[in-house]
Amino acid sequence: MATAGRCVAWLLPAGRRYWVAAVWAEAHEVPPGLERLGWRAGGVWMLAREGLMPRQLVRAALFAVAAAVAAWAAWPEPAAGHAAVSQFHVIATVLLLAGLPLLARRFFGPASPSRIGRSLRFFCWAVILAFMPAFAIVEAFANMTPRQAAYRRVWGAPQGVPGVSTGGPGWAGEIELLLLIACYGLVILWLTSRRSRVTRSTLAIGASTGLLFGLVMYVVAPLGLSNDATDPWLSGSPVDALVALAWVLLFGGPAAAALLASRLARGPDGARPPYNIRIGQGIAAGVLANLTGALLVVVLGTGTAALMLRSAWMLHWLEHGQQLTAIATYRYEIHTTADLGAYVLMAIAFPLIGLFMGSPAAAFTNAAPRESGPRTDGGGPPGPSPGPAPEPPPPGGRLADTEDRIPVLS
Amino acid sequence: MTSRPEFSAQTLSVLSALCDQPSQWQHGYALAKQTGLKSGTLYPILIRLADRGLVEACWQDEPTPGRPRRHLYRLTAAGLASATGALASAAERAAEQAAGARTRTGKPRARVRPGPAAPGAVPGTTS
Repeated sequence: MATAGRCVAWLLPAGRRYWVAAVWAEAHEVPPGLERLGWRAGGVWMLAREGLMPRQLVRAALFAVAAAVAAWAAWPEPAAGHAAVSQFHVIATVLLLAGLPLLARRFFGPASPSRIGRSLRFFCWAVILAFMPAFAIVEAFANMTPRQAAYRRVWGAPQGVPGVSTGGPGWAGEIELLLLIACYGLVILWLTSRRSRVTRSTLAIGASTGLLFGLVMYVVAPLGLSNDATDPWLSGSPVDALVALAWVLLFGGPAAAALLASRLARGPDGARPPYNIRIGQGIAAGVLANLTGALLVVVLGTGTAALMLRSAWMLHWLEHGQQLTAIATYRYEIHTTADLGAYVLMAIAFPLIGLFMGSPAAAFTNAAPRESGPRTDGGGPPGPSPGPAPEPPPPGGRLADTEDRIPVLS
Repeated sequence: MTSRPEFSAQTLSVLSALCDQPSQWQHGYALAKQTGLKSGTLYPILIRLADRGLVEACWQDEPTPGRPRRHLYRLTAAGLASATGALASAAERAAEQAAGARTRTGKPRARVRPGPAAPGAVPGTTS
């Protein structure tokens, strides 16, 4: 009980910690037994509520449960040849997800109070937790040397000890993957922090563009960039409407999101912010669009592959109902898992494309205002007086430089 | 329309206990026994009252040997004024509610009995 009290005291703000000591000291006056235990328990519970608001407690508990389930599902079998690396990956990912918000609060300030900001954080964390077991299943299969000699002759099959998985990407690959996850987490935490001043409308525009792009990209590439799964309805040629739309959204989506977000940006008083702020909002929307899309397509694609490896019905559906032989099935599965490496490239490239497409779009539509400098001629007759004020527009018309009000998506 | 009371019933009970001896420092367990509140309810009330400047707290100067120093509480001048007003308002509300309850459950209104029927009058009707 004393240890619990000290832990609770550490969680409390400095101005509240002496109340813990007050409750604890008073417990000595309470008759020993259940009454004293009840006194201390009531104090601990009450002070825990003071330190951790109920909503934060619920969020922490939810994350703990979700992380435990994901870690259990992703935990490698002891006999696997890569157990140490995979165990490190699972533990490090969970610690990263638990620690990044605390680090972000220290440097980025508290989270944005908007619902869209909190939803984006929840989405990113849920996606990463869902990715963990899917990735573990795919990696374990992709590196599992088949027992049957005929399977080992399939092109791309691992050539190690039969029945043993040779491991995933190795220590260097695991570190790179963790760095990628950390980068995604930090970008999301920054964009949804109060200090970044990214507006709700910017977050909504970026997220909705990204979700649309992610879904289209997933339909186009549900199992990496291989078109086995989408053949014949999407053979991958540029004339396929969905493939064309995916290309348009990849490059045009962040540009459109940046343009829209910068035009709709408003300050707390409803006035248009300076042009540099508007450009920043546009860049944030562009990055967020492709980052969200990348997250969605990576988790959906990896999850589909994992489901295919574990469920006969998914494989049957992906193969359009064909009855494949065992070796043909294994060939299909091993090639599919090899193609999933394209998702890593997407995860790296898409947000960068969002940045490179969103920045010029935002800058182009929010040029710096022209500043008229002071007269340098030292004197002379005054210039012509300004002309008469322009006539007000007729009813239903508008001035030439009036911006169109675009319906707000949020 | 009656306004929402400033303090809850539990807070009023704590204020009442502190008002009994406004200049005396009181311990948490003593307040808990007087009010019947548990520590999980009493201490948040004391924290809120202290945050609002209505209650002041200090540590015991000379603790009992073998026991830690106890935390002591008493009303500030502002707290005494607020508590007095709040308790008076609460007493008024309680009196009003009691009076309203007596009116609703009091003697029923007397029924008017018709007198002897006037010539030509219809029985059962009053003139």
